[in-house]
Amino acid sequence: MGKDTMESVKKLFTTQSAKVDTNRGGEYYTDLYETCRKRLDELKALPVVNNKLDFQQTIMDEGLDRRDFLKWASATTAMLMLPASFTPLVAEAAQVMNRIPVVWIELSDCAGNSEALLRSDGPKIDKIVLDIISLEFHETLQAAAGHQAEKQLEEAIELFKGKYLLFVEGAVPLGMDGQYGTIGAKAETFKDHLLRLASSAAAVIAVGSCATYGGIPAAAPNPTESVGVMDVVSGKPIINIPACPANPANMVGVVLHYVLTGKIPELDSLLRPKFAFGYRIHDNCERRAHFDAGEYVEEWGDNGAKNNFCLYKMGCKGPMTFNNCSIVRYNEAVNWPIGVGRGCIGCSEPDFWDKYAYERPMANANIKAPTGGVERTVDEFGLALLTAAGIGIGIHAVASAVAGKKNSEKDA
Amino acid sequence: MKQETYKKVERMTVAMRSIHWLNATFMVVAVITGLYIGEPYYQTLIAEPAVHKYVMAWNRWWHFIAAIIFDVTSVVIVYLYFFSRFEKPYKKLIPNAHNLNEFGGVFLNLITLNRRKSFDSSHSDSFNTVYFTIFHLLLLFMLFTGLQLYVHGLESGISSIGAWWPWILHVTTDWTIPVTGGNLMTVRIAHHITMWLIIAWVAFHIYYQVWRTIFWEEGDLAIVVGGSKFVKDEK
Repeated sequence: MGKDTMESVKKLFTTQSAKVDTNRGGEYYTDLYETCRKRLDELKALPVVNNKLDFQQTIMDEGLDRRDFLKWASATTAMLMLPASFTPLVAEAAQVMNRIPVVWIELSDCAGNSEALLRSDGPKIDKIVLDIISLEFHETLQAAAGHQAEKQLEEAIELFKGKYLLFVEGAVPLGMDGQYGTIGAKAETFKDHLLRLASSAAAVIAVGSCATYGGIPAAAPNPTESVGVMDVVSGKPIINIPACPANPANMVGVVLHYVLTGKIPELDSLLRPKFAFGYRIHDNCERRAHFDAGEYVEEWGDNGAKNNFCLYKMGCKGPMTFNNCSIVRYNEAVNWPIGVGRGCIGCSEPDFWDKYAYERPMANANIKAPTGGVERTVDEFGLALLTAAGIGIGIHAVASAVAGKKNSEKDA
Repeated sequence: MKQETYKKVERMTVAMRSIHWLNATFMVVAVITGLYIGEPYYQTLIAEPAVHKYVMAWNRWWHFIAAIIFDVTSVVIVYLYFFSRFEKPYKKLIPNAHNLNEFGGVFLNLITLNRRKSFDSSHSDSFNTVYFTIFHLLLLFMLFTGLQLYVHGLESGISSIGAWWPWILHVTTDWTIPVTGGNLMTVRIAHHITMWLIIAWVAFHIYYQVWRTIFWEEGDLAIVVGGSKFVKDEK
């Protein structure tokens, strides 16, 4: 647990619920509308940073029409929990996204979140919006390499000091002085790299479970002592968008919210935007009726699986996972894990690889016994405990029967 | 053999006995339904549409009803620990010389197979009270972890009895997340393991009561039925 753990504990005690107040009254929204209007006008007056792509033109080139774009804008407005009157503002905000400089760095990661952005089923609005953000630096996507790339990064930091959004993908290894992960010719450790870039960013957005909680690099036994961004960076607004990979819809939502209002969205105790992580997967799952009915898939490919029964017995962790993928789904709402017939592995929750992703019900999970080291299932441990108590009782009972002294014998 | 006389001592009031059997019954219900919730161990093979079966839902319903009964009796028991007019158990928990001595005496008598029964067994002794307190702490832990798991389903912040209910559940039970290990799953694992601790507790509890009845010959098992036991009159 990192240094921000105490902060998170404090937040836990003060958190009320994941609920977002979706109706704050006319006055609030009128004010917000004015604020957003002013901010958009300011942004429009700014010169385009670097990305000269024209939004309208890009949409046309990709074979989509304005109607698709407006449909997207109203859906995104709803996702951000704003009234419908904000739709034109959201549409405008999407078009001025190229005024917001973004620096995207990768640490201990698999580039899966970048992949999630790039490899949707076809270029849809979410992707295009992310195409036109002014991506100043992205190791995987940029043409520059080596010293050129480093120079580009230095220039971006200098030019957009205090203005750029820093997207971080991947965990931060702290073991061995951070030497498990270095970057560039000067072998700067990931930790130093992150701290340097975060210090001149406007806000830090941790994308994916690795950047949020350490994720898979931090899974037991965590030899590199990896942690998430929020355990390293302090003194900057941090937004976590966990999941493996993070949903592009939520990334766009966060950026749009920032472009539109100049503020970060309302966050929960784990610094996740509530508009995305205020829902429990289980409660919006299309297979929920089968859960309540006790109809479960018993093994892969059985009749239950063919009939879309609940995946709880196959280890689905929807009941313990907060994310909006049962609502917005992935790849432009094409499908999501439970939709394709496999359980949720809780990828947006802390410690998910160790505590969620074992694809068995919890009572049957190979988790570590409290003694540590030895793998034991919870039930085996419990049964062992009960057996020990039973043996103790048995020995005592037999000993009492053989050698015990009744009060009457004492008196006799 | 001299004539033995016994005197009757009151040990449990009607209220205490009612709570005991209520707890015992609903503990069985909670364990049976809880094991099903942990891993549904029987299949629903009724040829009915999902909406008519409701097997998991009924298991959860009974589990929550049992839990809420535990929660209420727990509050009553905490009250009785301090304010009972009959016997105030907290007095036996204070680690003063008398209580430590009594605890040691009863424990040694247990492991020496009733060879050192030199303590006053007419009242609830310190060993017994400590043992019961462990149980109530386990039950309290189940209460907090259970309500934490329960409030996950109320993420909208609203409930049938008002918004104050999920709010108060968050305020009183959110600490179980960092204490058990940092995420919602660890709360669930802790809740499950504590069930086994409670079952082990019950196993020894029943054994110890039977053993006392056999070896002390004071009718201890009758306490929970009739409310009284008999101790030898030493006069």
